[in-house]
Amino acid sequence: MATQTADMLEATGSSEGSFLLSSVQAMANWSRKNSVWPLPLGLSCCGIEFMATAMSRYDMARFGMEVARFSPRQADLLLVAGTLTYKMAHVMTRLYDQMAEPKWVIAMGACASSGGMFRSYPVVQGIDEFVPVDFYIPGCPPRPDAVLTCLIELQKKIDKDRSYRLSFSAEKVEGQTPLVEQTQLPGRGEGPAVAMATAGEHFGEDGPQKRAFRGIKPEEVR
Amino acid sequence: MDTLKTSSMRYSDEVPEGVAPEIVSALAGFAVQWSGGAGAPHPHQDRYPGVLVKREDWLPAISALRDGAGLIWLVDHTAVDYPARRPARFTVVCILMNMATQARLIVKSRVAEGESIASLTGLWHAANWAERETFDMFGIAFEGHPDLTRIFMPEDYDGFPMRRDFPLQGHLRFQD
Repeated sequence: MATQTADMLEATGSSEGSFLLSSVQAMANWSRKNSVWPLPLGLSCCGIEFMATAMSRYDMARFGMEVARFSPRQADLLLVAGTLTYKMAHVMTRLYDQMAEPKWVIAMGACASSGGMFRSYPVVQGIDEFVPVDFYIPGCPPRPDAVLTCLIELQKKIDKDRSYRLSFSAEKVEGQTPLVEQTQLPGRGEGPAVAMATAGEHFGEDGPQKRAFRGIKPEEVR
Repeated sequence: MDTLKTSSMRYSDEVPEGVAPEIVSALAGFAVQWSGGAGAPHPHQDRYPGVLVKREDWLPAISALRDGAGLIWLVDHTAVDYPARRPARFTVVCILMNMATQARLIVKSRVAEGESIASLTGLWHAANWAERETFDMFGIAFEGHPDLTRIFMPEDYDGFPMRRDFPLQGHLRFQD
């Protein structure tokens, strides 16, 4: 699929500002990264720092993230802010399961990342025991600056997403649908790697889209 | 009296000084051992008087204290684990208080692993969650409790964290 950016059009002097050629992928990434609606799971003091991040002094709205959704159906980002106990872990996984793809997870603070100072019987030693995590924010609790930095990094990650580029030309495997083509992404190595999925597996908790996005080889997906 | 025999000097047949006569008379029908009190000889002993009752006397003795000695308030209800003590490693403790005289009494009883003890929920509704917590943390069953399920830990949790033989650094179920 040929991609023309506004810069290219402007450089050739044609069709100035009247229309824009792009790929569906670029449009989707652009809209997704500028409207990441977080589902804040505020479990302890990190929740307070998240509130500070959302308020006017640090103003998360500058990045299109001010719409904190307390329904997982409407959220794109699960932001686990605080100490997760084993009893609450079931709640968190249920929230994560109810979120629609694409979805991202941030472990905010030492507790969510590793259990923090609570190496004891009720505390989960890092939420990645239960859900795949995209970013970990250090700090106890992290300052709002750190949260904002992480959200900007998340925007960069979303912008690199290539999951819309369905591989129609890749070799077909009997009974399986090619879902994701990993084209030559910066820092992702060479060559097309195609993540395959059987029907019904497309949007699972740790589905092939997510795994391919993390650079896992197709044979590991099956 | 076997379950009341103890080698330590904490317990004796003598009623500690300061214990109200109505408490003594309420417990007249039960085999008990006393400890603590204002004149306790050991510096680490409780200043509040304590009474050790047999496991089967737990409910009738406390019922008699509530109705006969004015100890109408259940201040606290928990347990202690002495893992080396045999046969009864657990001590179930409740603290009662007389709201009129401000007198307190610590009532204890000993329970072995796998044994159960009577629930106090018939006397105080406040005992409900306290006994669930004791069950959750120590694995002591309370007979007659209306809903004896875990209260803090998830229901599929394996183990009783407040037992002394529980791992100190926590129960890491998902450790590699």
